[in-house]
Amino acid sequence: MMSDPAWRDSRGRSAELPGDLSSLEEEEEEGDSNAGASSLGSCSSASSDTDLEPEWLDSVQRNGELFYLELSEDEEESLLPETQTVNHVRFSEKEVIIEEDDSRERKKYEPKLKRFTKILKSKRLLPKRYHKKSSNNNGPVSILKHQSDQKTGVTVQQRYKDVTVYINPRKLTAIKAREQPKLLEVLVGIVHQTKWSWKRSGKQADGERLVVHGLSPGGSAMKSGQVLIGDVLVAVNDVDVTSENIERVLSCIPGPMQVKLTFENAYAVKKETIQPKKKKAQSSTNDLVKLLCGSETEGIQPSILGTPHIIMYLTLQLQSEVSKEEEILYHYPVSEASQKLKSVRGIFLTLCDMLESVTGTQVTSSSLHLNGKQIHVAFLKESDKLLLIGLPAEEIPLPQLRNMIEDAAQTLKFMYGSLDSAFCQVENTPRLDHFFSLFFERALQPDKLHLSASPSAQQYDAASAVLLDSLPAVRWLTLPQELKVELDTVLSDLEAADFEELSEDYYDMRRLYTILGSSLFYKGYLVCSHLPKDDVVEIAAYCRHYCLLPLAAKQRIGQLIIWREVFPSHHLQPPADADAEVFQEPEGRYFLLIVGLRHYMLCVLLEAGGCTSKAIGNPGPDCIYVDQARATLHQLEGVDFRLEEQLASSLGPCLSCADWFLAAPREKTDSLTTSPILSRLQGSTKTVTSPTCRRTFFSDYSFKARKPSPSRSSGGCEPGEGGESVGTSPHTTPDAVRKQRESDGAEDSVALLKLTRKKSTLPNPFHLGNSKKELSEKELEVYNTMKLTSGPDNTLFHYVALETVQGIFITPTHEEVAQLGGSVHTQLIKNFHQCCLSIRAIFQQTLKEEKKKTLRAAEHSESAESVAALTPVKEHGVLFECSPENWTDQKKAPPVMAYWVVGRLFLHPKPQELYVCFHDSVTEIAIEMAFKLFFGLTL
Amino acid sequence: MRGQEVRFICCASQPPAGSPCSAGAAAAAPPPVNRWGTGLLHLNKKGFEKLGLRVSQGVEAGGLLLIRGTTAKPGFPKNLGGTWKRLQSGTPGSQGGVFGVTTVFPTPAQLPFSVVGSLNGVHMFAQNLDVQLNSARTEDTTVVWKSFHDSITLIAVSSEEGASELSLGRMLHMVFGAMVLIVGLEELTNIRNVERLKKELRASYCLIDSFLGSSELIGDLTQCVDSVIPPEGSLMQETLSGFAEATGTAFVSLLVSGRVVAATEGWWRLGMPEAVLLPWLVGSLPPQAARDYPVYLPHGSPKLLERWWQPLLEPLRACLPLGPRVLPEGFPLHGDILGLLLLHLELRRCLFTVEPSPDKEPSPGQRRRLLRNFYALVVTTHFPAGPAEKEEDAGSPAQRPRACYLVLGPGMGWRLVALQLGLRLLLLMLSPQSPTHGLRGLATHTLQALTPFL
Repeated sequence: MMSDPAWRDSRGRSAELPGDLSSLEEEEEEGDSNAGASSLGSCSSASSDTDLEPEWLDSVQRNGELFYLELSEDEEESLLPETQTVNHVRFSEKEVIIEEDDSRERKKYEPKLKRFTKILKSKRLLPKRYHKKSSNNNGPVSILKHQSDQKTGVTVQQRYKDVTVYINPRKLTAIKAREQPKLLEVLVGIVHQTKWSWKRSGKQADGERLVVHGLSPGGSAMKSGQVLIGDVLVAVNDVDVTSENIERVLSCIPGPMQVKLTFENAYAVKKETIQPKKKKAQSSTNDLVKLLCGSETEGIQPSILGTPHIIMYLTLQLQSEVSKEEEILYHYPVSEASQKLKSVRGIFLTLCDMLESVTGTQVTSSSLHLNGKQIHVAFLKESDKLLLIGLPAEEIPLPQLRNMIEDAAQTLKFMYGSLDSAFCQVENTPRLDHFFSLFFERALQPDKLHLSASPSAQQYDAASAVLLDSLPAVRWLTLPQELKVELDTVLSDLEAADFEELSEDYYDMRRLYTILGSSLFYKGYLVCSHLPKDDVVEIAAYCRHYCLLPLAAKQRIGQLIIWREVFPSHHLQPPADADAEVFQEPEGRYFLLIVGLRHYMLCVLLEAGGCTSKAIGNPGPDCIYVDQARATLHQLEGVDFRLEEQLASSLGPCLSCADWFLAAPREKTDSLTTSPILSRLQGSTKTVTSPTCRRTFFSDYSFKARKPSPSRSSGGCEPGEGGESVGTSPHTTPDAVRKQRESDGAEDSVALLKLTRKKSTLPNPFHLGNSKKELSEKELEVYNTMKLTSGPDNTLFHYVALETVQGIFITPTHEEVAQLGGSVHTQLIKNFHQCCLSIRAIFQQTLKEEKKKTLRAAEHSESAESVAALTPVKEHGVLFECSPENWTDQKKAPPVMAYWVVGRLFLHPKPQELYVCFHDSVTEIAIEMAFKLFFGLTL
Repeated sequence: MRGQEVRFICCASQPPAGSPCSAGAAAAAPPPVNRWGTGLLHLNKKGFEKLGLRVSQGVEAGGLLLIRGTTAKPGFPKNLGGTWKRLQSGTPGSQGGVFGVTTVFPTPAQLPFSVVGSLNGVHMFAQNLDVQLNSARTEDTTVVWKSFHDSITLIAVSSEEGASELSLGRMLHMVFGAMVLIVGLEELTNIRNVERLKKELRASYCLIDSFLGSSELIGDLTQCVDSVIPPEGSLMQETLSGFAEATGTAFVSLLVSGRVVAATEGWWRLGMPEAVLLPWLVGSLPPQAARDYPVYLPHGSPKLLERWWQPLLEPLRACLPLGPRVLPEGFPLHGDILGLLLLHLELRRCLFTVEPSPDKEPSPGQRRRLLRNFYALVVTTHFPAGPAEKEEDAGSPAQRPRACYLVLGPGMGWRLVALQLGLRLLLLMLSPQSPTHGLRGLATHTLQALTPFL
């Protein structure tokens, strides 16, 4: 049902949403066929093959942008309104995830809206007002189709706003008023005085317009913060109301619930450009969705508000000192803690001015103490404007903050073309508010937003965001060749754009857009991309900022359609040289179309201009392209399970869990069979055995192929021997472990350490070259899946490999990490990412120096005069020790496990970065690991 | 080489070639001034000459700003955008006048007075709003502010490569310590006559300069006393105690080129800045046979004048060559080791040498800088406890860093290792042929071998 263009009413949801964010369509119940049928008449002129208007059409905004999200049915069900108490609704963010157990309870409340509608219907209060075609000037639901939108009506769309408030009729019992209580005042908190009202002119003959004359303190309307004096209440839950029927309508509310009020905007006519700041979305959303839709921007938790953080966009040109805050073009948030930072902006302006004039280079950051808290402030100066982001040092280390500000600036440029056009236009303010509320939410409460499938995956997401969010690359899922080819074909078909409607002959007109390329994400992993690296990186950054990737991972998306004009830097760069032979980017405009379905997200970059017709105005999404993209996703339906399989046991190297190593020393003396490390290892292999027998075969084979290499066999444990018993399991590791233990039961890690240390000669990093000859490419690939570390034991805990040329990185999948589990391991992963961040900061310094050096070399050859600074760094490793948390045994000291976090930077032949985490017992050569990891890593 | 060692120079513009600044800074090793007789003096004559140059040059371009006056006048503009303009219009070079700013050190030539004024103004402005501005960075420059006793603000500006906030901040601490050492805290917190104070502080220029230049020592950064391991430690210790008894003082130490060879127990009990400062002071004084030099101890008795007596002893010939080598002759160091820094975090003593394998690249000066930078990096990112705090036993985090290494890029290939064991932190610089995976083992061995000494 979800995937079809639904038969739905346009329930008065006017589309003046904050920015490109959007309404969340509530899933229509089957029972509402009545309403559904009534929408039959309205059809989209754009889509010729169907009489139905796509359900997202209403959400298209004036500027053509669309952000339409609809969850799949089952998701919706589990998320139905939590309207029992006021607290629950207002601070719903305190609830992290909606537990499965709750879903049953929720179902109780689920039909309430329906019930309400029924009651209204039965009382004949529900007017037949679903035929919207001609109701432009009288109803709250006068939503213009985007076509008309472009041509004529600009203001109407802004005239209405929806406000969802919580209404509790039980309040009435508390207030025993002698006279008939005014429900509007008591329940909603809106004061309307009849004597003030002006004569209505219009079609609604009876009753007066419900002008808001006042808001009662503490009332729902006031709490919502969106109802302004002067607004006109036109509908309650899509029921038209006037002063005449309002009391009756309100009295029909059966119990505490969320009610949607539709207002005619007080200033709609006067100030057309200013959009209403915020909009409450449907109650049937969970936190992430709420955040996505910008509904909760004012409901940010006090804990965040108490943390000093700020974003400011300042102009350095001071005209005069007449107006006090003239230099602030934009700032967010408005909280007391941030006020302080705002008030000292003079410091930043002066520093920026002065230090640049003294040193000739731009200010990058500054730190200060505020109320005993250290705050880092990152600067980004562009022409005469200054972008500032300040965050507490204990939450965000300085290198991360630097990355974040650059990331944010890049995404804003991608969305708006330049920082100036993003910040200097008033109508962007609510959009930016939303953008930065998500931004700070992600920074300060990373675990809130990563609503992944399981708690462990969620933890993993939160821990890794520190590093991964700032990588100039997209998370890549390595796929087997056949699958890759299949996906490639599907995307190529879409990109070829030779489907009927798009052929130029069909309509005898020029095509609207050229498809530049597309990228396919599955559960937030990039699985296939036909876009240039810069584009895909920017698109992924956009998705990250709007939390779309975690959304796709967690929720099955019923339908997601995003459409907006974008400004990809790659295409908009001024041509380097005016050489006629070099391909010149056409002076076109670019549009991003993201279509999401289930766990898939397909990002398509379209170009208008060039060889297609020029885009005029702010075109909305074109149905044909949306439909084609959706059809492409439908085509991929069958691939789901194979992708799942890859996620569960990807082609990446095998991992070990840190907890196994901690357990080991205690059990060292015990008999082999009881050793938990073994049983657990075997246990884990059972869960992964699923995929193929081919793999088993290859693992066996590759292992044997490996045997002849003499430099590897350390001591008495010949890893090759493991090959004989490998048949039972695809993973060599446990067998190797067992073999090793059998052959040398008393051997412990210390002995192992000695053994490996004894051979101090540098193992040949090209050692793999021999085996490469023996193995075909694919076999080698499979070999890579087996083991990354060199010892007999698999000692690899975690890794991140960044390939900057293609803009991708690989790291263990959520499923893989979840399979390992372990409390220490979770800690280790967190620590790993934090350590990598500081290692990467050093690498970034090196890269910057390299760039400077090549620049200097180009200008005049000044010899590298300094070896003083620690650049260039190519490898940096840190050894950590850890022990289990909550060690209760007082007598024994907790076992200690040591592991390395090693980062390695490769400048040639192409810039690559590798971060690995492995146990201390085996010495590892980072180059060798990198070779294995990066091998065959192609888009 | 030029421009790097002048750690206070504020501007990106490097000092013009051939200026006294660069010439002075080129002295790779600071003059190992010590007091062991004319023979030595002769040995180090060249270095001494350079010292003389540096001293005079330090007055010209020392680059240290000392600013007094933190109480803002009423009507201090809230918006510094405006302030900035006003400051610029102030007469450059005028002393005082703008917001009560008085520099008590000569402003360095590279920094016009207006810039000094704004640097201080920004900090002051922040302070008025209960915000403490600590540091700012541009792409190649770091600025650090530090206020002491609500009276003196020191500002360090450095565009030296690898200058870190940590090193600049610690240097400012040393500078303030040096000022207290010379004029006393009373004089600094309660300034009555700025001109007189300036004159008095002139005596500290020489010491402060030694923090700015590239010293052979590292105590200014590590806040540990640079030490030497004498060949016959116990004998030396005995002699020294006897001497202390005879002279009636508890604080006696024997120095070789700024490093402590042996010292009485009382000496080791000296507080933090002075334990490092006193040897540095001796190092910065012109060589004399004996000297009676009055100092204030910044930590122990900042307000009481101590008589610190520099004893004259028979030259201990054996110790002399030890100076830069630090370790006794014949100590088995691995051939790959190019530089070594060992710190004892509780005793607050350190051994620092870059003498091993002197024929290999890079030069001692470069080795020193690399190790200094590596120390700053390690302490900033991985071992934040540093020497300042003791290792916590209880409530230690689940993930403790123990060691780290760094491999420098193509063309260099040097390795730097840091290893923390208990209260000892060892930093090594190793030659490129040393295998990466063996670094930790090598460091552990070296640390174990060195443990008896420190």
